[in-house]
Amino acid sequence: MKKTVLMVFLAMMCTLSLYAQERRITGKVTSTEDGTPLPGVNVLIKGTSIGTVTDAEGFYSLDISNSTQSIVFSFIGLRSEEIVVGERSVIDISLALDVTQLSEVVVSGLASTIKRSNLANAVTTVNAKELLGTTQIQTADGALYGKVAGASIRSNGGAPGGGLSIQLRGLSSLQGASQPLIIVDGVYINNSFQRSGRASVTGAGAANQDDGANRLADLNPSEIESMEVLKGPSAAAIYGTRANAGVIVITTKKGKSGRTTVSFNQDIGTAKPLRLLGVDNWTPDKINFFFTTPARRATELQRLNDANGNFIDYEDYFYGNTGILSNSRLSITGGDDKTKFFVSGSITDEEGTVKRTGFERYSVRANVDHKINKNITVGINSNFIRSNTDRGFTGNQNNTGASIGYTMANVPNYFDLRPNALGVYPTNPYGNENPIALTDKAINNSLVNRFIQSFLFDATLLKTSSSVLKFRANGGLDYLQNTTLVYLPEDLQSQRAQANPGDVFVGKQESFNTNFQAALVYDWSVGKVNLTSQAGIVRLDFMNDQLFNRGRGLTAGQTNLRQATVQAIDGDFLTRQQDAGIFLQQEANYDDKIIATAGIRWDKSTTNADYQKLFAFPRGSLAVNLTNFDFWSVTAVSQLKPRIAYGQTAGPVPFGSTFTSLDAVNIGGRLGTAVGIGSGNLTIEPERAEEIEFGLDAGFLDNRISLEATYYIKTTNNNIQNLNLSPTTGVNTIPTNQAALENKGIELSLGATVFEKSNVRWYTRAMWWKNTATVTELGIPSYLTGAFGSGLGTFLIREGLAPTTIVGTPAIAPGEFTVWGDSQPDFTASWYNTITFLKNFDLNFLMEWRKGGDNINLTSFLNDTGGTTKGWFEDDDGDGIPNGRQRPPAPFNNAGRWVQDASFVKVREVGLYYNVPKATTDKWFGNVIQKAKIGVSGNNLFMFTDYEGYDPETSTFGAAALANNVDIAPYPTQRRLFFHIQIDF
Amino acid sequence: MKKIMKHVAVLLVGLTACNPLQLDEIVDPNNPSVASVTSNATRSQVQFLVTGLESRHRGYVTNVSQAWNTFGREIWYLNSSDPRFQTDWLGQGGRVPDAAYFGFGTTGGGSYASPYQAIKQAQVLIDAVDNTSSISAEEKNAIKGFAKTIMGYQFMIPANFVYQNGIRIDVKDPLNPGPYVTYQEALTYAEGLLNEGFADLANAGTGSSAFPFALTAGWNGYSTLDGLRSVNRAIAARLNAYQNDFQGVLNALAGSFMNLTGNLNAGPSHPYGAPPDVFNPLFYVPNAATTTIVVVHPSVLADATPGDKRVADKFLERTSPVTVSTDFSVLVGTHQDRRWAANTSFIPFIKNEELILLKAEAHARLNQPTDAVAAIDIIRTAAQVGPYAGATSEAALINEILYQRRYSLWAEPWGHRWIDARRYNKLSEIPTSYDQGTIFTQFPRPQADISWDLYSGN
Repeated sequence: MKKTVLMVFLAMMCTLSLYAQERRITGKVTSTEDGTPLPGVNVLIKGTSIGTVTDAEGFYSLDISNSTQSIVFSFIGLRSEEIVVGERSVIDISLALDVTQLSEVVVSGLASTIKRSNLANAVTTVNAKELLGTTQIQTADGALYGKVAGASIRSNGGAPGGGLSIQLRGLSSLQGASQPLIIVDGVYINNSFQRSGRASVTGAGAANQDDGANRLADLNPSEIESMEVLKGPSAAAIYGTRANAGVIVITTKKGKSGRTTVSFNQDIGTAKPLRLLGVDNWTPDKINFFFTTPARRATELQRLNDANGNFIDYEDYFYGNTGILSNSRLSITGGDDKTKFFVSGSITDEEGTVKRTGFERYSVRANVDHKINKNITVGINSNFIRSNTDRGFTGNQNNTGASIGYTMANVPNYFDLRPNALGVYPTNPYGNENPIALTDKAINNSLVNRFIQSFLFDATLLKTSSSVLKFRANGGLDYLQNTTLVYLPEDLQSQRAQANPGDVFVGKQESFNTNFQAALVYDWSVGKVNLTSQAGIVRLDFMNDQLFNRGRGLTAGQTNLRQATVQAIDGDFLTRQQDAGIFLQQEANYDDKIIATAGIRWDKSTTNADYQKLFAFPRGSLAVNLTNFDFWSVTAVSQLKPRIAYGQTAGPVPFGSTFTSLDAVNIGGRLGTAVGIGSGNLTIEPERAEEIEFGLDAGFLDNRISLEATYYIKTTNNNIQNLNLSPTTGVNTIPTNQAALENKGIELSLGATVFEKSNVRWYTRAMWWKNTATVTELGIPSYLTGAFGSGLGTFLIREGLAPTTIVGTPAIAPGEFTVWGDSQPDFTASWYNTITFLKNFDLNFLMEWRKGGDNINLTSFLNDTGGTTKGWFEDDDGDGIPNGRQRPPAPFNNAGRWVQDASFVKVREVGLYYNVPKATTDKWFGNVIQKAKIGVSGNNLFMFTDYEGYDPETSTFGAAALANNVDIAPYPTQRRLFFHIQIDF
Repeated sequence: MKKIMKHVAVLLVGLTACNPLQLDEIVDPNNPSVASVTSNATRSQVQFLVTGLESRHRGYVTNVSQAWNTFGREIWYLNSSDPRFQTDWLGQGGRVPDAAYFGFGTTGGGSYASPYQAIKQAQVLIDAVDNTSSISAEEKNAIKGFAKTIMGYQFMIPANFVYQNGIRIDVKDPLNPGPYVTYQEALTYAEGLLNEGFADLANAGTGSSAFPFALTAGWNGYSTLDGLRSVNRAIAARLNAYQNDFQGVLNALAGSFMNLTGNLNAGPSHPYGAPPDVFNPLFYVPNAATTTIVVVHPSVLADATPGDKRVADKFLERTSPVTVSTDFSVLVGTHQDRRWAANTSFIPFIKNEELILLKAEAHARLNQPTDAVAAIDIIRTAAQVGPYAGATSEAALINEILYQRRYSLWAEPWGHRWIDARRYNKLSEIPTSYDQGTIFTQFPRPQADISWDLYSGN
């Protein structure tokens, strides 16, 4: 059936072939700034994708029909110019810098792009300059803070090597983590948080408490040319299944024809903790209060006495170190009319602020585009990455003491845990581990080898002066191998307490994703209406294998599994998934005045109960450029574009949702099979989201001031959640499709070029956004989920409430708990500035303000329990009970004590750069150096918050739909300072 | 144009040849399906289900041992990693269990969901043998007898957990569980299962012949049909005591493995071992420098009779005490559990010593003090505390029996003292002075069950 549609569509396109007279326009494009020729500028017949690009010397030549009205010159980062052709046959032009990005092209379909000024969605593009132009950030997701209205970005902690979650326009699922699909140069990459086994070895719990990194960390952000963020179904509909949480389309840097440029960059910096809280001092009075038995009091008083005033600030000892940061990058860019290349190699070597933690990443990349002939272009992007991450031991634990902060919470500062002269670590009588020995000896390492390869094949099948038919095939693969090692040596205190001391946990994970897409794109026109028609197919294959082995009872100092007394297979899990889809899309552009798009995608997937069933995802959008109409006469308003867009997408069914399995169990030397506690659902379908988005884009004073305002309503239906069965049936859960969620939100962005003089240019941009999520339909009984139960704050899922509602003790009725907060922020705002002054200086800074949203702060709970919170023994109300035992609200025993407002203001990025004038470099080095730049910068420079923790941004459960705000002894966030040097030869 | 059509045609042919839109059906690459055993199960599949039942049968051990023995103040489960093992389990600050209490989750965890998983496994096993022709009728009876014996045992766990709140007994259809019945009705139902199992085992062949499927070493000495019948009756004796049917206790004991002159520790057990098995969850390295450990409750030490061999056998005085603080109190444990030689030691789930004490209790309640004292003295002699010399009124004898049960059955994976104190209305005698806590009577129905009723409209 679908194939028939495709055939009809193709036939239709072929019969609409037009013919017209042709003539030739030639010219040269230069930079307004310095008059240099601009290679690679797009020269297009207005309203079409018919055109060419300028060569290495900035020259172009373009065949046009007599009906052609105008030609548009565009280049990323420069202001587009539209020139009425008239009778001219030579058009030379210069292009100026553009801060509004109106001219850039944005993804509009799976095989087409659209000019931003014609876009009907609020698609955010973050280009290289904005991404890393201010400071160096370890991972690409971390570089998006404050740059994407509608994105809730949250760092899970400060451990090196990443670990961030991004939620676009709120929650799109109650089960998954609502993380966007990430596509790099057309490859669907693996961005999962892979299991490390840390949570297993330390007893923290399931793999979601591993504090692992999401694997976007492997991609070196400095190789990124742009990140386009499709925030919701209305923009991402053509991606179908997997696009419920939005799509981030990453494009890496490309070669440029012209002079070959060799560019070398070096960053050197330091990392220090952004914020430490301090620890409490102890006095005999406090000991007498805290320790209730006489014998123990005597012991502790003796220890205090023995310390003789030598108190140890353990927090500073563990977290207050200086990490050395170094990034080196070498790239070679160049090419000619036929072939362009970008080749780069980089080394990231960044230490953490906890001893023996750090992140190393080696990346080599070759992006090559080649024109086989005037009709066929091929491109390949190859990237090999090796990431080596030591994240140390922080976060949750149980019974092992294998978390610095968790264990430290119980150690009074008069007790010395440091090793003696013989290197013997004292036994920690306040916990299961000496955290100094842990830090000095234990290993939590992940070593990733990864290869991402993409290819592109572009062929022009038909070209007339007014129509082009192109075939485009692209795809690629992402192969990722992750070897993890968690090791607690046999001589650690916690291990000596075990029957088999020494614990090693070795993981081998392999994932292999491939995707392929083929499309026909036909550009044509009817009168003043330019049309782009496209049809194509998509195929995705995902494979993931995990094998985890564990050895306990180790030979001294050995990490080989064969050196273990007790050898166990901890996990062996395979997943296989296949998706396929078909898409059709029609765009129509009436003279850049009215732009309409309609499209549909059909998808099927092997994780659905019916793997043959196609699900349809339609979209439609309309944008009207009022200022392009002849009647528009308000010259102060240079752009005014109301827009509306609608689309549907899906969230995939998790692998295995249809399986009702028999688990393997071993007992007494025999293998058994036992009925699993989860049941499969043979009718399960994907989660389906639909979104309607309204917006207004406006430009004033020749677009010196620009406003982008968007309102959206995103609803998800068929939300998958586990129906909890009566536990008496021996089957606890079955996945169901019954819930519905609604997210409503506003996104505002106001940018202005405040000054534009020859020696000072100041561009400023403020963004403000908020999202409100509501469970509109549950279908199953209201339930509590996430975090650590009602006593410490958990989430209430109930119709009519936000799914982010935090409840806890006391119960106000049986099974009904007090509402203590909501993890969803009231709003987020950011302020970005880029100032060029004294011609050669650039100053950039970015601030972010997140207002509201509550955390569940169990670090406070732990520190209070151990009596180590700074100020614990103070007694504000003078009732004889210290503050540490009387955290409000009264009666001081409820979950509300740990639910805290997580508002903050952060100075995210500040950078100051000096571009050494060419004259200076020429004087010193001859004509060898083309460009030299030095600078200083900082990342997470300051934070202002009332929150009583290291950082209000923290998540012990990693990226999660809910409970991504639970604070348990995290790795403190780092403040990073850099010196930069860049030299282009 | 023709050329274009040719291109398009080639393209379409190409697409059809390796059709990228064609998906393969993906079957579970990791596990067999439940459906694979529900009809025409092979003999080896039945064997795997039997072993699976043994595994599910021990699912309750960790949680019940740690929690119920804490409720009855036989132990403290000290855990510095999570203060709630102290604050919540001891009922500090007046805490009482709610429907999603710490350590039990919304499903009741090891005290509720786990025993029902064993029951589910037994039902699937019974269904599998009912729907296959690969084993004989006698073998089917043997399997059913074994499965029902386990079910009878497991039903007592949720019943005692929620006690007067009642449990479900009709639990076969996951989407249509039956109504709640009272504690007494639940026990009656469990007794019926045990009796059916007893009869099934009798119809499974010659009593002295081995159970036709392999059992683990936990059943050593009881793996014949007769042996399993004697375990079935031992379980029935415990259950009858909870029903206050003391003649029933004596009748059941007569068919059980009780041996007045035999090893008091004799009985079937849950096996543990090195991976891929799991280690004994109650084992702690002697004198380990840890703050996560089961310690002997101070009242057990304080109340001990001097020279009691059980104290020496079961409690190890640590070289350094374990201290754990909560925001209510500091708990100090001086003694740890020394019952387990290694982390691979098996854990008995019913033993001769309990049966003799049940005999004593039954005689005391049936006003047969001489027989009661005789049984008590078997225990006292073994404990080297001399024969009983106290009063022989029913109340005095019950006090003595409950006292002996505290030491004979100390910290077994059942929470004997908690249940015993409850059935004799003596919960108030359990001391809370050591931890400023509360003694719970029972747990509310787990949240998941409440939610299910909301969902299904019952």
